[in-house]
Amino acid sequence: MDKLILLLPAVPLASALLILLTAGTRTVVARISIGAATLTFLLTAILLGISLGGAETRVFALFGERTAGSLMFDPLSSLMALVIAGISLIVHVYSVRYMAEESGYARFFTLLDLMTAALLVMVAAADLLTLLVAWHLIGVLLYFLLGQDTRSQSAYRYGFWTLITYRIGDLPLVIAAVLLYQAFGTWSLAAIFDGIALNPHIQTYFGLPLAEVVAALIALAAFARSAQFLLHTWLPYTMEGPTPVSALMHAGIVNAGGFLINRFAAIYVHTGGVLHWIFVVGLVTAIIGSVLMLTQNDVKKSLGYSTMGQMGFMIMECGVGAFSLAIYHLIAHGVFKGTLFLSAGTVIGEARQNDGVPKDDLYTFVVQRRPARSRQPWLLMAAITLAVPIVVLVLAHWLVAEDFFQKQGAVVLLFFGWVTGAQLLFSTYRMQSENPLRLIALIIFSFTVVVLGYTMISHVFDVFLYPDEQFRASIYAAAGIDLRWFDALVGIMSVVIVVGWLRAYYAERNAGVKRPGPVWLNLYALFSREFYIVDLYSRLTRALLSVAERLNVWLRWV
Amino acid sequence: MSTLGYLLIGFFLPLFPFSIGFNALLTRVTNLPLRLILLLAWPQIGLLLLAQTDGAPPAWIVTWAMATSLLYSLRLLAVRELGRWIAFLATAAWGLLWLLPAAQAALHALWFSLPLLLLALLTASLERRFGGAYTGIYQGLAQAMPRFSAVLVITVLAAVATPPAPTFFSMLSAFLNATPGLMSGLVAVWLLWTWAAARLLQGLIVGPGTCEAAVDLERAGAWTYTAALLTLVVGGAVFSGGVA
Repeated sequence: MDKLILLLPAVPLASALLILLTAGTRTVVARISIGAATLTFLLTAILLGISLGGAETRVFALFGERTAGSLMFDPLSSLMALVIAGISLIVHVYSVRYMAEESGYARFFTLLDLMTAALLVMVAAADLLTLLVAWHLIGVLLYFLLGQDTRSQSAYRYGFWTLITYRIGDLPLVIAAVLLYQAFGTWSLAAIFDGIALNPHIQTYFGLPLAEVVAALIALAAFARSAQFLLHTWLPYTMEGPTPVSALMHAGIVNAGGFLINRFAAIYVHTGGVLHWIFVVGLVTAIIGSVLMLTQNDVKKSLGYSTMGQMGFMIMECGVGAFSLAIYHLIAHGVFKGTLFLSAGTVIGEARQNDGVPKDDLYTFVVQRRPARSRQPWLLMAAITLAVPIVVLVLAHWLVAEDFFQKQGAVVLLFFGWVTGAQLLFSTYRMQSENPLRLIALIIFSFTVVVLGYTMISHVFDVFLYPDEQFRASIYAAAGIDLRWFDALVGIMSVVIVVGWLRAYYAERNAGVKRPGPVWLNLYALFSREFYIVDLYSRLTRALLSVAERLNVWLRWV
Repeated sequence: MSTLGYLLIGFFLPLFPFSIGFNALLTRVTNLPLRLILLLAWPQIGLLLLAQTDGAPPAWIVTWAMATSLLYSLRLLAVRELGRWIAFLATAAWGLLWLLPAAQAALHALWFSLPLLLLALLTASLERRFGGAYTGIYQGLAQAMPRFSAVLVITVLAAVATPPAPTFFSMLSAFLNATPGLMSGLVAVWLLWTWAAARLLQGLIVGPGTCEAAVDLERAGAWTYTAALLTLVVGGAVFSGGVA
């Protein structure tokens, strides 16, 4: 039954071919494509069922051992295939009516099917060549999907940003593959992972450790695909494509970075410094993405930066060794962001008739910006804000794993949960409510449910994706730092958080009308211009084109 | 082999400034069959000559070839005429043949030449219809000539080493035989090709469609091109798909 994995890319490929060959009406095109997407989804569901039943990892070579074209059936591929097929099916169904009045209907569904096939090959690839082919193709197919409207120059211009950033990320992956081939003489992922487990200290050029170099190159590829800081500009600007493509991109394709790092977990387990670097890049991206999201006045760009922030958090999770948590995060984010994009049109349509916003406490606080007239004692609220989230988080984690505090990565993520929970409770302090205690109780209850759910599910993911307990521990250990340094950092962070929230409550209590100073205004200008990164890249691009033109003129175009 | 011998080969496996010879020749030859023969045979002559040498080419020649490839890849960005675009890309691609092991170089030269051959046919087809093949002058081919545009897009992608075209495996092979310094050169070359291809396609197929009167490629013609491209892909997978 696990051989069904071979059918996964074959079904959407056959659909694309059939659409091209039949050149039928829109109804026929839609039926073929949705039929194939449904069949693919059912196949992935069966495969995940088999995998959950405890089936062993198997590799199927299509054209023999020496050529590209082998697929792997394992927990990661079966889970990711289900996610891709599910999102693809939803996007297919949504597109039937959404694209009904657009030109290039058959082309759109052909590209959508090809993209589904490429994504499925990417997650199931059992050798580096197959992975490289699929990884490259995704960028190219996305470029043409974003440029579905061939009349729109701007769609292609911004689509090009995506293509070139993806290519910038493709090439480190090529180098990583080449270095691995040179070291082990095979393209097979399983053989490479076995080889590196046997000889983790193997060296490459200039005496550098192979595992660290390859891991860094793979991380670069993941950064470009998942819009990490400095390689992020394509994401908020590629909104010119059709909405279903935006949904597919934000819900599926952009998450590939997290998948890639997970696929190469067997290499990351032999590294250390690279994971710290991944953590820092993810952290910076999460912060900058969130800040830019809040400061943009263009809703679409704001959504783009929201995805960037989420991707930063996902990469950061990998950086602390919580690999399976990153997979859970990318699935949760995919579902949530896909829903946002696909329902955007309906929301806008409904809002034109009726704003539909209930005039409750949240409305008066968020929309009318009316703070509460009477407030609870600030010190009491600050104490609740600081104590409740940490108690909930620690209890929830302790429930699933007693050795929780041994994992540095988990403790780092705990801080983020703490800050988020505290922020939630801080909002209640400023909100106008007839029954503030009820409101606080409800928020604490919701927070507890979310934390428990998140913790339980992530634990299930951990056990499913990495059943070997020792391996799980090794990943966390690889991401760890010296214990004394870690304890010192935990202490400092705790003090910063506690003092920060106390100060926030105190300042809120004594809040008055105060104009922002020049520093804040300059900072806001910097944020609103997105750190001038886009301007810088545009200038560099123009300079390079100008050099090319001058060279051609000097050399008489020969 | 003497330095002079390598310099002679540099006319056929382009080394700047000897590469100027091929580019001048290709842009002056208007006869289509002759252009096709040039694209196919030029690097093979160079490889035949290279086969007469003993051992691998010296490192300085390989570095020179890489620099030539980089130069023409960069210049490719600013080229708007399709015929010249083919010549520049051919120069950039054949320069990389110096990096490849002698036993496989002829096959990889063929992989680099074949998509360019198809592109030359498409260029001639455009020239017949419009009197010239420039980007920017008849924007929106996708609207007016969808079949032609589809074939053009796939051929250009195959030429710039997009998988599963065999040129992709040729590039991988070049990476496998490169030193770290040359690898960074290859990265830049591949990146520039992608950029140049996107600029070319954007200038040709994207736009409101101002040339509605143009006659599209016939269905049979489109299928012939598709069959040729498919043969190329299958051939590449069979003969070079196991990249080593």
